[in-house]
Amino acid sequence: MISAIGEVLLGKEHQVRLALACLLARGHLLIEDLPGMGKTTLAEALARSFGLGFKRVSFTSDLLPADLTGLNVFDPGAASFHFQPGPLFSQVLLADEINRASPRTQSALLEAMAAGRVSVDGTSHLLPQPFLVIATQNGLDQGGTSALPESQLDRFLMRLSLGYPPRQAEQALLQGEGLRPDGLSGGLGPEDLLELQARCDRQHCSAALLDYVLDLLDRSRRQPAQGHPLSPRAGLALVAAARAWSMLEGRDHVIPDDVQAVLAAVCEHRMDGGQRGDGDGELSQRLQAGVDGLR
Amino acid sequence: MSRTAAPLQWLTMGFLALGLLGLSPALSLSLLAFGLAVLTALKLREARRLEERRVVALLQLVCAGLLAALRPELGPSLLQGLAILMALAGLLALELGAGPDWKALLRRSLQVLVAALPIALVLFLLLPRLMPFSNLGTGHGMGAMTGLSASMDPGSIARLAVSREAAARVAFPLGGGPPPLEQRYWRVLVHELFDGRSWGSNATPFPRPPAGQPTAPPPPPAAPGEGLQLWLVEPSGLAAVPWSGAGRPLSADLTLQRSGELLNRAPGSQRRVYALSRTADQNDWRTQPPGPLDLVLPRGENPRLEALAAPWGRLGSNRERLNAAGSWFRGQPFRYTLEPGALPRQAPLDHFLFESRLGFCGHYASAFTTLMRAAGVPARVVSGYRGGQWVQPVGGTGYVDLRQADAHAWSEVWLQGEGWQRVDPTAWADGDPLARAVATGADRAGTAPWDWLQQQWWGLDIAWARWWLGYDSDQQQALVQRLLGDQRHLLGLVVLLAVALSLAASLGGLGWLGRRRSGDPLRLELERTLRAFARQGMAPQAGETLPVFSRRLTQRWPDLAGPLDDFVGHYQRQRFASAPSRSGRRQAHRLGRVLRRSLHTGNRSKEAVQQGTP
Repeated sequence: MISAIGEVLLGKEHQVRLALACLLARGHLLIEDLPGMGKTTLAEALARSFGLGFKRVSFTSDLLPADLTGLNVFDPGAASFHFQPGPLFSQVLLADEINRASPRTQSALLEAMAAGRVSVDGTSHLLPQPFLVIATQNGLDQGGTSALPESQLDRFLMRLSLGYPPRQAEQALLQGEGLRPDGLSGGLGPEDLLELQARCDRQHCSAALLDYVLDLLDRSRRQPAQGHPLSPRAGLALVAAARAWSMLEGRDHVIPDDVQAVLAAVCEHRMDGGQRGDGDGELSQRLQAGVDGLR
Repeated sequence: MSRTAAPLQWLTMGFLALGLLGLSPALSLSLLAFGLAVLTALKLREARRLEERRVVALLQLVCAGLLAALRPELGPSLLQGLAILMALAGLLALELGAGPDWKALLRRSLQVLVAALPIALVLFLLLPRLMPFSNLGTGHGMGAMTGLSASMDPGSIARLAVSREAAARVAFPLGGGPPPLEQRYWRVLVHELFDGRSWGSNATPFPRPPAGQPTAPPPPPAAPGEGLQLWLVEPSGLAAVPWSGAGRPLSADLTLQRSGELLNRAPGSQRRVYALSRTADQNDWRTQPPGPLDLVLPRGENPRLEALAAPWGRLGSNRERLNAAGSWFRGQPFRYTLEPGALPRQAPLDHFLFESRLGFCGHYASAFTTLMRAAGVPARVVSGYRGGQWVQPVGGTGYVDLRQADAHAWSEVWLQGEGWQRVDPTAWADGDPLARAVATGADRAGTAPWDWLQQQWWGLDIAWARWWLGYDSDQQQALVQRLLGDQRHLLGLVVLLAVALSLAASLGGLGWLGRRRSGDPLRLELERTLRAFARQGMAPQAGETLPVFSRRLTQRWPDLAGPLDDFVGHYQRQRFASAPSRSGRRQAHRLGRVLRRSLHTGNRSKEAVQQGTP
């Protein structure tokens, strides 16, 4: 399947893998890059390969929360209000250019991402499962953006940056060799995804591995000069992502290599507070070098 | 505070209570120990907070120490050791919190105890010794002894029960086995007072020195090469203790009486351990002339006996009188029995000598001694033990095991020029148990498993008495003399230095153990392998994982790919895939060795190739 998505997204196998791991770990994904790098394509390809319902919202500065969640509409026939679900009620929500929306709208997204439900006029509505938000944001140096608050950044399991494709891949792209995402069908359904997610939770994490993760967290907290300290939620995210990664590697247990593979994607945006966004993972590199990886 | 602390502390109380059971209530210190234990138990009952529980643990240790001073024998010492082990484990449970389990706590406690051993040894060997605490109180006899008593009246005993109860054990540590079976007579009491029926001992209790006055100077230690008798005597309530009749007591609180009784300054219900040299003293009791008591004979009590002895009295020497009596005795059909029936109140010895002719040792000794006195020969009855079983424990010092059934009485007569001579008239009777034992060679250890175990235990007991209890101030003086020679004033400095050194060694050892514990054996194996590679200039980079490092190694040494993959794969599986197992560790060790060896040989062959090509 990775190769199938890889055909859509030429030359970005590592990022595709990470995105898939994020999906398996039930996490939300933030893709940050310049316009036109294939963010939307990746999101669509992910959704389609599992046959998930897919909706897309382009965030603008005047987007209101009700535009996302849906609202109670007066039905003149029944003389009552009934709930008209918004685009949030899908399995994969692609939130394009999330950092162009106002903080109020972003916080509506927050509840949906954390709790898997939406409250409108005092009534809670459960979202469909699996529920995944793939948000894209443009670099902060671009016009018309406002930074995501750290609380919301923490709710994204991973932040990816796609970057320019290698020359060869770009050549193939220009020659029109890439597939369109709507041509994808992985032969897998949402139930398969749920099962894979459940299997992910059963990946064995030994005490030695948890020690490694704890050492990483500890290290980030002891050296505040090297970015924000990692929260316990970051630790949970790291283990969940490493589990998913180890499953993609075809192992039934997690090793430090898995943690290192997802470390930059999971931790970088939590440590730099969303300010840098250049995606080079320098802070994670330093954190990783500070902890014994041999175990 | 761990939940295991409370059970551990109560268990300690149990061991302490067991240790208290054997204490003699006559000793003032044992009352103190008892009171302290009760207080500790009460405190433990009510203690809730950590500080209070700490106090309980310390009280328990003090209690165990007090017990150790009161009961230094092997069995109680083991019990005290257990109590201390448990008390320390309880204290550790208090201090270490909920982490370690029972086993870990006990192991730690044992380590602490072992670490304390060097310092204890230094103090034991070099610190000036106190008098044994058991001498501080006066013990009164706890009931009569089954085998021996100060007054002997065989005529009143119709039936003598045989008691297999242990009486004493004697070992001969410095060479020389026991005397042959027929000559094993162990003296205890001398009976010189005779009232016509019973024989009383005139041994007066040893006068206690007035309080505050130093006791007699310790006797000089045994000369090197001189044999020893090491006695271990069960509590008897008698002031006199057994000995072989030859030798000199090596403890200050034992004195030799003129009559040949060995008197104990602190008789009581405690077990007694003492040593005697084997060589005889200058003023031997054998040559002490008889007193008027040794001829006292109430006239008219046993008329036929006196009539029999009268002609012997006209013989010239005591030796001839003895021979005459002996040949008469041997000519009569005396038979040895433990159930002779009671003798009549009138002329009991006449009845025994001329009518029943049935009796045990007391009858023979009593009758023969009376006969000798009637013939004008100074004579007395001696009671003690005869025979005893020679036991050779596995790998230990052999010893003679004396039971109450070995209790015996015999006569001693005064012969001019020869001194006091032992005469055992029981030996002339038919069915004497000792003669039977000699004839059948029954001086063999019991073969029942229980007997065997008991004999081994007593062998340990003897060794303990010899090396541990036997280390008294004399031996200490000798050791200090050997160590320091004339520089005795340096002893304090030496003790301090030795204590400091052993403390440092113990702390160092504990620290090493602590470090070693943190090192997981699997990881140690990995580090050993990494060192081997580091010597070749390949070390993992910061934060590098093992598979990544192993790929780098394979690039440099492609030949190593096989063993490297085996080792790394196994290591990763052990570490991250399954619970680590002992067999897995062994396998990692094996694979690591293979890898290191192939690294080694690979390099050697490479070097050889380089040398081969100029």
